[in-house]
Amino acid sequence: MIDSITGGYLTAPIAGIILIMVGLYGLMVKKDLIKQVICINIISPGVVLYFTGLGYVSEAGAPLLPFVNVVDPIPATLMLTTLVIDVAVTSFALALIIKIEEIEIGRDEKW
Amino acid sequence: MVALIVALPLFFAFLFLLTKYFGIHRTYLKGIFLLGILSPLPVFLLNMSDLPAMTVLGGWTRVAGLEIGIDGLNFFFLLASFIVFPMVAVYSLKHFDKNEEVGVSSSSKYFLILLLYGGILGSLVSRDLFNYAVYLEITSITAIILVSSSNARGAKFASFRYLMLYLISSVFFIFAIGIIYVKTGYLNLYLIQQNLIMDKEMMIAITLAFVALITKAGIFPLHFWLPEAHSKADTPVSALLSGLTVKVPVFGMLLFLRYTSIDFLIVPLFIVSLCSIYFGIFMAIFQDDVKKFLAYSTVSQMGFILVGISTLNIHATGLYVFTHSMAKAGLFMGIGILISSHGNKSISELTFSGRKFLMVTIVLLALGIGGVSPFLGGYAKYSILKNLSKYSIYLFYIGSIGTLTLFTRLIFELTEFDLREKIRFEFKELVPFILALVSLGVGIYYYPEFSFTDIILIGLAVIAFIVLKYTKVLKWKIPHYYEYNEEGLAGQINFYTTVFVVVNILFILYVLNFYGGLHIF
Repeated sequence: MIDSITGGYLTAPIAGIILIMVGLYGLMVKKDLIKQVICINIISPGVVLYFTGLGYVSEAGAPLLPFVNVVDPIPATLMLTTLVIDVAVTSFALALIIKIEEIEIGRDEKW
Repeated sequence: MVALIVALPLFFAFLFLLTKYFGIHRTYLKGIFLLGILSPLPVFLLNMSDLPAMTVLGGWTRVAGLEIGIDGLNFFFLLASFIVFPMVAVYSLKHFDKNEEVGVSSSSKYFLILLLYGGILGSLVSRDLFNYAVYLEITSITAIILVSSSNARGAKFASFRYLMLYLISSVFFIFAIGIIYVKTGYLNLYLIQQNLIMDKEMMIAITLAFVALITKAGIFPLHFWLPEAHSKADTPVSALLSGLTVKVPVFGMLLFLRYTSIDFLIVPLFIVSLCSIYFGIFMAIFQDDVKKFLAYSTVSQMGFILVGISTLNIHATGLYVFTHSMAKAGLFMGIGILISSHGNKSISELTFSGRKFLMVTIVLLALGIGGVSPFLGGYAKYSILKNLSKYSIYLFYIGSIGTLTLFTRLIFELTEFDLREKIRFEFKELVPFILALVSLGVGIYYYPEFSFTDIILIGLAVIAFIVLKYTKVLKWKIPHYYEYNEEGLAGQINFYTTVFVVVNILFILYVLNFYGGLHIF
């Protein structure tokens, strides 16, 4: 159905690039640290969507034995790493924001 | 065999964490830490006899396996890691004991340093784009956590800014890798080289990758995270960050230079590198915080290294990376001794006060970083100069004079002998001295000559410093635009992201204009 609206132009890689653009826009204008972390979390799925979309072959199955007419498994495998890193980094960034509020704010300091 | 270089530090990091939770005594923990730092060294030495040593893990073919190896491309990077890391480890044992305060415990920092070691070595031996990217992420994340573990004021801010800039650049780097994978069908760099077709998309992919790597290396228009992160971290961590972590993205650039074609990027890279040299010097000369001074000097030195890449000179880049690693790690540790004895980071208040040995060390390191000829820096400078055209040589020399002026200022401000004060020689002072000796020794091995030009450069630098000193230019302060709070930090990240996007667009427009048939300029 989505193809009938977009005329087949909205493939997964294009959608990924659009998500990256949206996240970058957020990073450029949002004045809130947590919103910025969320923007990073919009960009990363954009990359994942872009990458996995690259391996897509139309009307192909999952890459299982016997390997007949399957999608390219490598992009999906690689993106697992990125997803894991994103989860860890997001939690670290949020923890850092808490620490910033606890420790750094209220000090009379210059950059 | 080569895989052990990466596996051993990571294994010891795991072992360290495991034994820490069993409540083992701290002395044994330190033993495990030192063992982990020294463990890859024998493997490296065994492989030294038959270089280049390239293997594909698990005995697979290149198409299916991960290729790693040691050759001329990463030899100097690895050598620098294997010298700097043990030195910093010895130094950090003393440093963290003395500065144990509230906050992150020193044993967590040892664990993170081991992890950083594994990350750096992993990215330096890899010959597979995605493998390189993953190890680069391990390196960066560990570095960010190490920065945030410091007790210095503003360390959390610095860490958050580093994190955001790193994430954006990582995303773009992986995006670029995706394009390269689609165009060539491989992630192994040798196979990419075999299947390379330099068309518009490939050029854009390499451009995006380069801008991301420039950000991670802290080179001028995208250096924002570097000065704060390197100056707020603990001293041994600063030495590692400035000495090695920023060199890992440079190795990524060398991978692109070796296995793909970057001829179309020469002009913008050369402009960026010159801007970085001058900007770093300009900012450093007005800094009062001595660690920030050294951090801005790193920005300028990364510019010198990028000159090596923009002249397509792999050998000179490796040499420059090696010499800068030695000098900057040594300077951070040497100055760190003064900082911890004075409890202050201001250049105007720090003095050597009777520490003659440390003063000699700092002078040697300053000569090394300034590229004076019996040191390796002189040979590295000479090999970069060979590929430069007539006018660029003078631009390069101005940069050298600037660097020497910076360190003339540093030594002048620190020298103030008070011979009544007797300060006991500290064992820590040997560590930067050994790094200075390595720089000198390798320099004499490669280029045992003395260039008269260097004397003229030092003379000009001293004159420039005297002029700056007596015209009171050095008293200027760089104004700060953003407030010291969360809004200020968010505003900075907005601004830095915008600059990142603008630089990307400019680079891509340049490439499309001259090579893609688009005629804008």
